Formats: sequence, C-alpha cells, structure tokens
Amino acid sequence: MPIVEKSLVEGLQRTETLEVEGIDVSGDWNTFIASRVHTDLDLSIVDWVRGQPQGTTIDRCWQCGTCTAGCCLHTDYGLEEFNPRYFIYLAQLGFEKELARYAQTVWRCVSCNKCVERCPKGVKVEEVVHSIGTYLELSGTAPKSPADRFDEAYTRNLLERGILDEAGLFQAFEAGEGRTLPTREKLRMGLKLLFSGRLHTGPLAKRTRGWGRLRPVLERMLAEDLAGRRRGLPSRRPPTGGP
Amino acid sequence: MSGATSPPGETPAYYPGCSMDGLGKAYEVSCQMVLGTLGLPLDRIEEYNCCGATEVKNLSHDVSVALPSRNLALARGMGRRTVVAACNGCVYSLARANDAMADPATSARINARLAEGGAPAYDGSAEIRHVLEYIRQRAGAAGVRAAVTAPLKGIRVAPYYGCLYSRPKRYTKVGLEPGRDNPESPYFLDELLEACGADVVRDYPAKTICCGGGHALSDLDVSVAFSASVLNEAKRAGADVVATICPLGQINIENNLDRIRQSFGEEVLLPVAYFTQLMALAFGRSVREARLRYNFSRPDLFFRARGFA
Ligand code: SF4
Ligand code: SF4
Repeated sequence: MPIVEKSLVEGLQRTETLEVEGIDVSGDWNTFIASRVHTDLDLSIVDWVRGQPQGTTIDRCWQCGTCTAGCCLHTDYGLEEFNPRYFIYLAQLGFEKELARYAQTVWRCVSCNKCVERCPKGVKVEEVVHSIGTYLELSGTAPKSPADRFDEAYTRNLLERGILDEAGLFQAFEAGEGRTLPTREKLRMGLKLLFSGRLHTGPLAKRTRGWGRLRPVLERMLAEDLAGRRRGLPSRRPPTGGP
Repeated sequence: MSGATSPPGETPAYYPGCSMDGLGKAYEVSCQMVLGTLGLPLDRIEEYNCCGATEVKNLSHDVSVALPSRNLALARGMGRRTVVAACNGCVYSLARANDAMADPATSARINARLAEGGAPAYDGSAEIRHVLEYIRQRAGAAGVRAAVTAPLKGIRVAPYYGCLYSRPKRYTKVGLEPGRDNPESPYFLDELLEACGADVVRDYPAKTICCGGGHALSDLDVSVAFSASVLNEAKRAGADVVATICPLGQINIENNLDRIRQSFGEEVLLPVAYFTQLMALAFGRSVREARLRYNFSRPDLFFRARGFA
C-alpha cells in the first residue's frame, strides 16, 4: 500500500479498543490497513514524465514529503488529497489506477513554487506535477482541465502579437467556459479601464515590432512540442484530451 | 559585491512586461515616480514581448524559454547586464530561462530558433532583479529615508510579497548571493516601508503565500480563498492597508473583492496598493498622482481620511 494520509486510505479496519497481552494499546494503533497485492503497475507514466524537459528531475525524489508539507494547496487551502509527494510516488510505481482517483485534483497546482524552493533533492516539483497532470490528460485518464484550457488560451493570445491582450484573454477564456459577465458590469469595468489608460484590447491591442517573423517559428515549435508529447503514450487507450 | 547589480553605475534595462503596460498601469506610473525621485533610472526594453509567465511552460518547454530569452538578448544588445522587472511572474520566467539556457544543448537549440525568427541570440548572461530588490540594493533604506517628505506615520502596512518574487532560489538566486533578500522570509519590503515612516505589521506569515492569481479564472474557489487569506491575515496582524509588489497579485485580489465579501464577509476587506504607490505618497506625491483611485479596493479613500492630499 502506498504511503498516504490515513484519512485517504481505502479499506481501513478499525477496532474500538485493542489489547495486546493484557495491555490496552488503543489509540492510533487500532487502525489496520488490509494487505493488498497490486499487479497492474505500468511504468510508462514515469518513463513519459522523465522524457519531458519539464519532468527530467522526477527520479531524484526520495519521498521526504517536504513539498507536500509546505504546499499551499495542501496546507493553506487545506486540500488534503493534493499531495505532490504522493503523485510522484504513484508515478514512480506506475500505479495509474490509484493516480486516476486524483484526476480532478492534480491540475489544481497554482504554481506557487514553494515545493521547488524547498525540495532538498532539486526536483522541479511544480513542473513534474504538471507533467503528471498532462500525462493523465493525454492518456485519457483525466478530462482536460480549466487550467489547461487557460494555458492554451493564454499561449494563443500572446503568440498573436507578442504582447498579451489581457482583456481579450479574459473575455475569450470566460466565453469559452460558457461564462459571461452581465453587460452592465462589463461596461462599468471596461470604461474604468479605458479612461485610466489600461485597456489595450481589440484594435487598441499592442504588438511587438518584428513579431511577424518570429511568430511562425514559435508556432512551429509549439506544434512540434505538442505533437512530441504524444509520443511514448501507452497505446491501450486512444488519446483524447489536448489540442 | 558579486550579488549586487553590476557593474555599479550602469543603468539597468527595464523589462515592463504586459501587465505594467496594461492592467498594472498604476504600478508602472508610481514605479517610475519613485525611481525618478531616488535617481535610479532604468532603460526600457522597447520592443519587448510577453515572458510567457507560468502558463506557456505547461504546453511547450522550448517556447517558454525562447520568449524570455528574446527579451534578455535585447537587454544584452543594449549593453546592459542587469534586467529589472516589477512583476513576480516576469522575474520568475526570465530567471527560469537563464537557468535553462545554462545548458549548452538547450541554448544551441533555442538560439537556432531565435535566429530563424530574426531575433538576437542569448548567452544566458543577464542578471534578473525585482524592482523591489533593485531599490533596496541601490538606494537602500537610508536613501529612501532621505527622500521622504510625508512620512506614512501611523499607517499600519502589511508587506505582501507573494510567490515568485524570490522563489525558487535555484532560478532567482535570491538568498544565494550576497546582498540579496531572504527567499523564505523576505524583509526588503518591510525595510523600505519602514524607511517611509510606515508602521509595518509583524507576525504576517501570509506575506509569502500564493494569491491564487495563476488560477484566477480557472479555479475560482482557490483564487478567492487565497486572496481572502492575504487580506484576512493582514487584518489579524492589525494592518490598515496591504502593500503588494506584483501586478498579478494586486489585480487578482482586487478582482476577487466582491466574491471575498460574499464568502467571508465585509470585515475581511482591506485597501490594497502597490508598494510604489505608498512610497510615492511618502515622497510627497498626492493621492491622485500616485493613482490610488485606480485600485478597486479604493486606498484613495483611506489615505484621504488619514489626511493625505
Ligand atoms: S520535497 Fe523533493 S524529494 Fe521530498 S518528496 Fe517532494 S519532490 Fe520528493
Ligand atoms: S507549486 Fe503546486 S505543488 Fe508546489 S507547493 Fe505550490 S501548489 Fe503545491
């Protein structure tokens, strides 16, 4: 059984009280984990993550748990099941079935980089966690997350002119998610931004000079990388998510 | 001092980044004001491009390194070694590119692509500084104190640094060189605000937590909860106002104000302002000049009530 917070373990057995040779040892000792045998381990996930430039450091992890202890999602936000150390462990084991239980959780990393700051082994934890999330998505285990959709909208937006059109991105992303601000609210915010010189969207959007030459090169790089990350995925499932 | 911006006397390059020219306009304006008063000019990288922040790297490693590298190459082409940025996200991605370009294979690959697109090659030799570190290093608390004409007396300020100002040190080098801030418990902002006469609140461990800005639109629960913590913890520590050093943090917190009010109550709310807006006030600029009315949390009302013109 992998190491994980007790509250998250399935199949715990508890006894009300526990006596060993006449001595009452009730308390934490009265919890037992039923032994299980797992045979469906598949290392293609850790092989894939290691093969990504963002995931090369995964093998350095020695499971100390420092990343999880300081992780702002785990500790400050209190999302107990968000446990970067555990995600790495499951990937190293190739225990995809267990990892699939966290398909809706892995993507929520907010990139605060406290884990990278503190990891004593030099694991780029934040990027490794994102790679694990990408694998889950590309292999069809997890649906494409809102964060992935935002990353795509952001990248598309900036590649267009070299400079981000913040308001345009906001609108495009919100519309894509099926959310729209009430028109009055939009008008109020828009006017405030416009009169304070902060609205550079649509025809007012800024652009980097000379961008026209670099843009196609960057777009080609992006397309190559997006295609490249589909290599090495297990063929048992047809890949679904991803652009 | 090898960690100080080098060489001394050089005017560093300034990387504005999209936010400073967009939603973070009040930060940009007040920043230039403060740097002008302190006699710390910066040379703007005119034809800069977006640094890719923390988003692009999740899709393509190479694009996420090429974007900041182009900017750093422009700075080196201007003959500048030090590159100053005011946004934590920019500091992070510029410094991350430096780390990646230290690898010869990566550097050769990226530079070939940059050349193909008509952009200059980058040799990985720029030094990245957050404008907060830059002010602290060049002017110091003493230099700031000397410029203060309207001390922020009795104003209790919570210094909010957020995530990527110093983290991770393997990229930013914060804490790894002499004369740099402390990556785990930064104090440069505390010092500068104190030099402005403010009463900086102690016991504010939330100073380095995440604001949730990276997921401002994609994970509302998280971004609202984190923004609320930044304010709530500041309030608990006795602050009147929160000082920020990042346009993403400022915009995310302020954009969430209504939702924070709904979920956590009116009593959590506090005015939030860029640290340079507060410094501009201390340097004798008016509430209007410091553009405090731009902030949705309305620090202008607070400061006017405290007698600032
Ligand atoms: S801090 Fe580093 S070594 Fe420790 S568990 Fe996390 S990733 Fe592994
Ligand atoms: S970067 Fe992600 S995994 Fe690391 S501490 Fe922050 S939220 Fe947790």
